[in-house]
Amino acid sequence: MSEPFDREAFDVRALEWRYVITDMICRAGSGHLGGALSLVEIVMTLFYRSMKVDPTNAKWEERDRLVLSKGHAAPVLYAALAYKGFFPKSWLPTMNADGTKLPSHADARTVPGIDMTTGSLGQGLSAACGIALAARMNKKSYRTFCIIGDGESNEGQNWEAAMFAGHWKLDNLTAICDYNKLQIDGSTYDIMNLEPIMDKWRAFGWAVFEMDGHNWDAIYDTLQRAAAVKGKPTMIIAHTIKSKGHTLTENKPESHNIKVPDQATYQKNMGAIAGGPVKLPY
Amino acid sequence: MDLHDMEMRAVYGRTLNELMDENPNVLCLEADLSKASGTNPEVAKKHPANFVNVGVAEANMIGVGAGLATEGKIPFCASFSCFASRRVYDQITISVAYANNNVKIVGTAPGITAGPNGGTHMCFQDLAIMRAMPNMHVYSPCDVYELRAMMRHMAAHKQPTYMQLIRSKVGRVFDEGVKFDPAHAVRLREGKDVTLVSTGYMTQFMPKVAAELEKEGIGVDLLHYPSVKPFDAETLIASARKTGGVVTVENQSIIGGLGGAVCEVLSEYCPVHVKRLGVPDKFGEVATEQYLFDKHGFGPKQIAAACRDLARVKKEKSR
Repeated sequence: MSEPFDREAFDVRALEWRYVITDMICRAGSGHLGGALSLVEIVMTLFYRSMKVDPTNAKWEERDRLVLSKGHAAPVLYAALAYKGFFPKSWLPTMNADGTKLPSHADARTVPGIDMTTGSLGQGLSAACGIALAARMNKKSYRTFCIIGDGESNEGQNWEAAMFAGHWKLDNLTAICDYNKLQIDGSTYDIMNLEPIMDKWRAFGWAVFEMDGHNWDAIYDTLQRAAAVKGKPTMIIAHTIKSKGHTLTENKPESHNIKVPDQATYQKNMGAIAGGPVKLPY
Repeated sequence: MDLHDMEMRAVYGRTLNELMDENPNVLCLEADLSKASGTNPEVAKKHPANFVNVGVAEANMIGVGAGLATEGKIPFCASFSCFASRRVYDQITISVAYANNNVKIVGTAPGITAGPNGGTHMCFQDLAIMRAMPNMHVYSPCDVYELRAMMRHMAAHKQPTYMQLIRSKVGRVFDEGVKFDPAHAVRLREGKDVTLVSTGYMTQFMPKVAAELEKEGIGVDLLHYPSVKPFDAETLIASARKTGGVVTVENQSIIGGLGGAVCEVLSEYCPVHVKRLGVPDKFGEVATEQYLFDKHGFGPKQIAAACRDLARVKKEKSR
C-alpha cells in the first residue's frame, strides 16, 4: 500500500537502490545499468505511492499490474520487489548466478510480484493491453501500468498495441516511456528519431503527458492526472537520464550494458555513485 | 445434422460458441480474418463481449492473448497458419511458450489448403517450427469430430498450444464421441507389412489407400497422429518393430514436421527404412490440390506406391 511521502526517506532509498542495482550488475559481471538507473524514481513512486500491491499476497486479484516491457531493466524491479518484501533482499546478489530466480530480464515464472515475463522488446505493451482488457471483462477496478523504453519504441508491435488501446479506449491502462534519449547504438535522435513523440501517441488516441522522470512530485502528480483520464489510455513521456546518478556512465550510451570483468572495475563502478557510499542491505 | 456435412471452420465456430457458453473465460481473438476462421458472424454475434478483433496485427493478437491469459482467460487466437506461426514466432516463443501463458493459437488453411492464395500464404513449416519450441503442444485434427474433442481438451487444459485448422469440408474419419488424448496416436487399421503415419489433412485419404493395399496383400498399420507434440513414440516404435518400414504423409514440408518427428524417434530407438511424403524443400504456388499432389508426390496414388515399394524391399530382403 502507499506510504506517506517523506522526501528525505525517498532520497535515501533511491540512493540505496542505485547501490543495489549497480552491485547486482557488477557481481553478475555485466548488465543493463543505464536503463535500470533511469527508472529508479519512477518505479519507486509506482510501488510506494501509486500502485495497490500486497507483498504478502503477490497474486492478489485487486492489485494494480505492472508490465516492465523493457525487461532488461529488471534490476530496478527486483530492487523494488525486494524492498517491498515480495522476496528476501538476500536474493538480490544472486542475479544471473547459476540457478538464480532473478535472471537478467524480468521473469514472472520465478519472481513473486512480476506480472508478465518480458525481454524481447516490443511485446509488453500488447500484454498490458490484454491485462487491461481482462479487467474490463472481469469488472475489476485494478489499473495496468506498462513501462516501455525509447529505443524499444522502434519496434512496430508497440504501435499495433497503441492502435489497439486507443480503439478499445483502455482508460485503465497507463504506459510510461522511459525517454532517456539513448539507445544501444547512440542517441535516439540519430539512430531512429521518435519525435514528435507526444503527437504520435495522441494520434493513436491516447491522452499524453510529459514529466521529469527524476522529480518525485512531478512523477506522482502526473500518475494521478493520468489515472483521472476517462475514455482514453494514457501515455506518460518521462524525461530521464540514462544511468542517472552513476558518474562513470551517466548519459552515455555505453551504460546500456556495462562489463565488469574484475575487482578493480567493480570498485570503480561502485565508487561512481553520486552521494555514496552506502551500506548494502545483504 | 451430421457435422461431416459442415466445413471445418464452421465446426470450429460452433464449438467455440459452445465452449464460450460453458466457460466465460474462453475468448475468441481474431486478426481481421474472422470470416475465414468461421467465427464471424456466429461467435461475433453470440458472444460480442468476448470476441476481440485486433485488426490486421497478428503480433499484437498474440501479445494481447498472453496478457489475457495471465488473468485467467483462455484466448483462442486464429489467423492463416502462415501468419499465426512464422510471422509471430518470437511473440509466441517469449510471450506465450517461455512465459507459460495459456494461449491457444489456431493456424487456419494449413499447407496446400491455402490453394488460391498461393505461395505467399502456403505455410509448409508450421508443424516443424512450432514443434521445435519448448512448452508448446502442436495438434492437427483430421476431421470435425476430432476437432471438437481437441478444442474441448484445449479449453480444459492449461497449456500453450498451436492447432492447425483446415477451413474446408474434409472426409469422415471419426464419429461423434471420438476422444482426444495428446499422449496417444490413433490406430485406424492393423497391419503387419508397412506402417503408414499421417496427421491432419492427409489422414482422411489414408483408410482408402490402406484398404486397397490390403486387397493386394499388403497389410498396413495405419497410425494417425492428432498431436505431433507431444509425440507418442511408444506406439510408433512398436509398429515399426512389427512392420520394419514406415511411410509418413503430411500436408507440410518433409523437413522437421511429422516425418521429422518419426525419423528422430526411429533413428534412436528402432532404425528402419522411412519414406517421408509431403512437400519437398520448396515454396508453394497457386494450384489445385491434384496438381500439387502430383508435382510433389504425396497424393493417395503416390502414398500407395511408396507403401508398395517398402513392402517389396522388405520381401526381397527376407528372401
